[in-house]
This record gives sequence, structure tokens and C-alpha cells, in this order.
Amino acid sequence: MRPLHLIAAFMRASFQEESAYRANFFISLLTSLLNLATGVLGIVVLFGQIEMVQGWTLAATLALLGVYLTVSALRQLFIGPSLEALAGMDGEIWTGAFDFTVLRPVDTQFLASFRKWRWFAVIDLLLGVGVLVVAVVLLEVSLSLWQILSFLLTLFAGMSILYAILLAFAALIFWSPGVLFTWIFDGIFQMGRYPLGMYPGWLKLILTWVVPVGVITTIPAEALLGSLTPTNLLTSLGLAAVLVTAASILFRIGLRRYASASS
Amino acid sequence: MMRSGFALMRGLWLSWLQYRSFFFILAFGWMIAPLIYLFVWSTAAGDSSIAGLTRGEFVAYYLVLIIVNQVTYAQTNWTVGDLIRYGQMNQVLLRPIPPIFDALASEFAGKVVYLVFDLPIVALLALILRPEMDFQLVNALAFIPALALAWALRFFWGYALALLAFWSTRADALLTLQDSLIFLLAGQVAPVALLPAGMQLAARILPFRYMVAFPVEVLTGHLAGADLWLGFAAQGSWLILAFVLYVVLWRTGLRRYTAVGG
Repeated sequence: MRPLHLIAAFMRASFQEESAYRANFFISLLTSLLNLATGVLGIVVLFGQIEMVQGWTLAATLALLGVYLTVSALRQLFIGPSLEALAGMDGEIWTGAFDFTVLRPVDTQFLASFRKWRWFAVIDLLLGVGVLVVAVVLLEVSLSLWQILSFLLTLFAGMSILYAILLAFAALIFWSPGVLFTWIFDGIFQMGRYPLGMYPGWLKLILTWVVPVGVITTIPAEALLGSLTPTNLLTSLGLAAVLVTAASILFRIGLRRYASASS
Repeated sequence: MMRSGFALMRGLWLSWLQYRSFFFILAFGWMIAPLIYLFVWSTAAGDSSIAGLTRGEFVAYYLVLIIVNQVTYAQTNWTVGDLIRYGQMNQVLLRPIPPIFDALASEFAGKVVYLVFDLPIVALLALILRPEMDFQLVNALAFIPALALAWALRFFWGYALALLAFWSTRADALLTLQDSLIFLLAGQVAPVALLPAGMQLAARILPFRYMVAFPVEVLTGHLAGADLWLGFAAQGSWLILAFVLYVVLWRTGLRRYTAVGG
């Protein structure tokens, strides 16, 4: 249970750090609300003109937006800030402060992935879950146990894929110092706001197999809507397992290359 | 004045070319939102049309919008606030030309770097996605002043907002709000004519449509006769207002400005 104790300690420390900047809360709230408003209005405008696009109705697309917002919020809650502290601009690898992280008697990948928590992201998480609830109400269906289970399972797989991609990008810093991979990914990740089906075929392939943004958001939304195919379920779980393993291996190889300025 | 302006521009341009990939990635980021809506609307239109627009016309609208958005995007809005907050405005103030020239120089230098990235990509997308546009010389001629005014409006409006940093360190929040309004009302989420009634009214009255959507609508031929002149009138009035706002905020703000340690 030591890892859980550690995570609790990291959470506490991050909370104390953030509560020093209380005014940031309101700016954060404004940004979150604007993000929600633009997302929802985008969908409302689209479905004000047309009933259904490629089988997706307003409620279904809203459910997808809920997944997108939830996944982004979870990323902002700990994966993003933790990896940012490692590999971002002025991160530990640049400054050499990573020496002290490596010295600690815990698994370095664990430490690098869970140590910084950005509590303001809880607002985004609540808004994302709120959109999901509204979407389910609008759908006017009662969810079966399988729908809920498969939704949680594919959401977890989606989060793992996102984590693996970000970890791999962080690991690439060991070879070439530049934060740009994550920036490009952030742009492409935006495409997860809309269902894969709304993109042309060639882009759909890219968003499934090259940058699996579609797997992260569209598949959990399908699970919630009850239109998940066994193939998609297996794709999501398989991809998550493969990518997390590959990213962890990459991180370990990168770690061995790490040498700080003084060594 | 002109010579020193060009010297600033050349200096910035050369220093920026060293960080090409950084600026290309910024340009890529700005392109993504219009691209998403290009795909969504053209898929939605399919083989028929939505509100009179066919798939190809949506493609043409959004490809033009990508370029217009890039040309008018005023990134100095963000950097000027930082200059004031960190006290680096001191150096700029010491130069023998007004600081707005510094912002103008980085505007022009930036546009060249960004367009080097944007134009080939838009050309490639045009080859793949087959846009359809009823091209008319009159529209193209009207497009040029519309684009120039849109750029000036977005620049001075944003610069004026950035100057609020003289009064509050949190003025950046207003810029975030402005970006959201531009997304919703300036033809990005959908062409203005497709917005619900309330939003459409807001779009026609507020300045944001005249920063991006208006030149796009002019070039793609969505506007005719009275609408065109009305648009130019609104664009011109907002530009005058934005310029006056800039002058007033600059004069009063500068008097308040005391740099850290100054």
C-alpha cells in the first residue's frame, strides 16, 4: 500500500502549493466555463442545422464531448503537471534537478507520473461528468450494467493510451530536448471533440492507428451509447496494453541515457 | 521612421527563423480548430447542402478562413501584456520610436514565418478536399480592403486589451474571453449565416465577426449589395473605436506605469 500512501502525500503537498495562489481559482474557473461553453455551443450550432450526422445525434455527440472533457480533466489533474515538471520547459531534465528524483528510493516512472496534482482541474472534471449526465438524460435510455461497465473499462483504456503517449513524449526528451512533440499532440487531440465518423476516411485511419485520439474518446462514448462493437472493445484494450508497455520500456531506456551536467 | 521600422522587422524575422519549428507548431495549433469544423461541416453536408452551402463550399469557406485567421491573428496581444508585467517595457520605451512599432514589426515578421507554413498546407488540403467557389474579380477586389481592415481591427482591439496590464496583472483573462468569442462569433464554429438567431445578431453587432469572418464571406461571395456595404461600415466604425481605445489606454496607462525597481 506504500504507493497509495505516497500518492496521498503528493496530493496534499500539491494542494498546499496551489492554495498559495487563491486568486488563480477564479481565472481557472473562467477558463473552464469558457471551454465548456464553446464545446457545447459548437454542438448546438451544428445540430441546429441538421438532425443527425453519420448516425450521431445531438445527445450522442454531447456524450462524446463529455468523455473528451473528462479525459482532458483527468490529464490536467495529474498526468499533465507531473510529466510537465519532468520534461516541460524548465523541467527537471533541463535543469538537472532530475538527479534528486532518480536518487529517491521509489520507482522513477511512478514518481514522475503521479507526483504533481493540479487541483483546479477538479472543476473541469465536474463539468465533464456533468455533460455526460446531461447527455444520458437527453438520450432518454436506461443504461444497462454492461453499458456502464464497458464505458468505465474503455474510459480507463483511453486514459492509459493517453498516459502512454504522454510518457513516451516525455521519454523522448532524454534524446532530444524539445517540448514540441506534446504541443503537436495537443493540437491533434482537439480532434477528439467530435466522433471519428465525422472525419474523412484517411483522417479516421490516422486518428485510430497513428495518433489514437479517436480510440481515447470515441470508443468510450460508443460504449455508453450501447453501440460498442467487440472489435472496438478489443482494439481499445489491446492498444492500451501495448502502448503502456512500449512507453514504459522507452522511458527506462531513456533513463539509462540520462546524465546530468556534472556527471 | 520607416527605416527603423524595417530594421526592427528584419532583426525579428532573422531571429525567428532560427526557431522555425517552434513557430510552425504554433501555426499548426491555430489551424486545428478551423480544420475540425471544416471536416465536421463538410461531412454533415454530404451530397446535399446545409442552408444553401454544399460540401465543396464549406471546404472553400474554411480554407480561406484558415489563411485569414492566420493573417489577422494578433499574437502581440499576449506578449505586450508580459512586457508590461515583467518590466521589459522599459527597453522598448527607451527606443526613439513609439513602442507600437515594435509590436507592428513583430506582427509583419511573424506573418511571413507563419504563412510560409500555412500556404503549402492549405494548397495541399485544397488538392485533396476539392473546394468549390464561385470566384469573381469584384469579390477578390473587395477582399483586399476587408482583410486589411480586419487585421487592423483585431490588432488594435487586442493591443488595447493587452494594455489593461497597466492596471491589472490578470488582464490576460480578458484575452481568453476574446478568443472564445472569436471562436463562436467570428465564423469559426460555423459561417455566421448558420448561427442560431440570437448568436447571429450578436455576431453582426459585436466587433468579432469583422476580425475574421467578414473578409472570408466577401471572398467566397456569401455577401451581396447592401450587406457588403453594411459590413464595411461596421468594420470601419469598430476600427475607429478600437484605435481611439488604444490611444486613450496607452496615454493614461503609461502615466501609471512604473517598472519593478523603477
